[in-house]
Amino acid sequence: MSRFVRKFRKWTVDALGLPGDLVLDLPRLTLIGNKQLYIENHRGVVHFTPESLHLELSHGKLEVEGAGLVIKEIMPEEVVIEGRIFGIKYRGTEESK
Amino acid sequence: MKSPVFSQWRGTVTVVVRGEAIESFINELYRQGIRIWDLVALPDGKMEMNLQVADFFSLRPLLKRTGCRLRIKKRSGLPFTLARLWQRKWFGIGFAVFLAVVFSLSQLVWDIEIKGNVKILDEDVLKVAREERLYPFQWIFSLPEQDKLSAELNRKLPGTSWVGVSRTGTKISIQIVEATQPKEQGLASPRHLVSKADAIITYIYAEKGQPEVNKNDRVRKGQILVSGIQGGKAVVSKGEVKGNVWHEYNIEVPLLRRQKAYTGEKKERGYLFFGKTAIQLSGYGKVNFDHSQMLTEFNPLTWRSIKLPIGWMSEKILETTELEIKLSKNQAVNDGIERARRDILAKHGANSVILNQKILHEKTDNGKVYMKVLFEVEQNIAEELPIVYDQGE
Repeated sequence: MSRFVRKFRKWTVDALGLPGDLVLDLPRLTLIGNKQLYIENHRGVVHFTPESLHLELSHGKLEVEGAGLVIKEIMPEEVVIEGRIFGIKYRGTEESK
Repeated sequence: MKSPVFSQWRGTVTVVVRGEAIESFINELYRQGIRIWDLVALPDGKMEMNLQVADFFSLRPLLKRTGCRLRIKKRSGLPFTLARLWQRKWFGIGFAVFLAVVFSLSQLVWDIEIKGNVKILDEDVLKVAREERLYPFQWIFSLPEQDKLSAELNRKLPGTSWVGVSRTGTKISIQIVEATQPKEQGLASPRHLVSKADAIITYIYAEKGQPEVNKNDRVRKGQILVSGIQGGKAVVSKGEVKGNVWHEYNIEVPLLRRQKAYTGEKKERGYLFFGKTAIQLSGYGKVNFDHSQMLTEFNPLTWRSIKLPIGWMSEKILETTELEIKLSKNQAVNDGIERARRDILAKHGANSVILNQKILHEKTDNGKVYMKVLFEVEQNIAEELPIVYDQGE
């Protein structure tokens, strides 16, 4: 995606009030307590241990830290994680904001 | 996500994947549309996951491409269960045969119970039931309908007013209601009714036969009351004749009555017995009763109404004393008369009525009351006397 297109999309999102996950390919996270996490719009698993899960996003990476993590289900756009979740971190998304 | 119900049905496998690029293998998996669930990273860098059997064979090219290796940890679901069952097919067949045998045994008539018959023999009922295709070890489903069966049994069994057939499980109950039949009268030879005692007739009713006496007639013992010869023919005379009869009683009643009574003091001894030998276990000590009565009770061990020769025996020693009750003369007289009245009712029938009583003579001597009492009693006086022909003629 060229810089222009990206800017245009961001502008439409702001101007029309559209949800960012639809238009900008941003991940949508649903966290239920510290037990369950749904992540939509991911781009693949990079690293997986019981303590951490690194997911590829369309821009940057998402790191989930926790203990006893289990991928309950994984589909092309969606991943469901269970376990005790301690933290969620974004990496490499600073420049797009 | 939980493994879906249908996946159990279609079979699932739990596999352990090891290799350098497991993450890329996983990414390949879902991109190919292979569903996996419960993905767990094991501490030694391997990963465990569940997938469906149908998807298992499409893993091979992916494994080759990513350089991973795979080991099957667990198989579950219907296809694997069936495969295991197939290895034990004879067990399965045996089980099915067992079920079939149990089911078919439950479809048999095992027992026929006959209730309510008093005069009709069980054997006769069973014989008729057998004619109607009802007998032990017959198939329940080949029995005739229950209402038809009971109607047929009722028709074929003489002396029944109703027959009901009901089935509880493998047991058939035949409930019989017997028709009440008039009482059969025994054959009797021609006879007279004669008097039992000297009496004055108070009531005469001849059901059959010729009455020979009237009310208020005086009759002697053995006199014919209702004759069995009626119109030149001998008949069985029948009827009821009542009359007033006098009974004389000589009564003696002691004025001093001795009676045994328990004082309430008692002692118990317990024994354990084996056959003829008994070992005393409790109640040692001397018994210092002057008069006593001993009650012995056996309590053998029983097993299904069979008494074993082992058990518990208890002895109760009850102290008794002799009571002396002094009666007044009046009490003694009343006592004696009461005893005589009871004797009359017992001898001459409970429907006898004591009309009158008279003390003829009374004296007290040697601690006893002697009395002579006359009772006038209205009682049944008829007695049967067979008519005998050809008396030595």
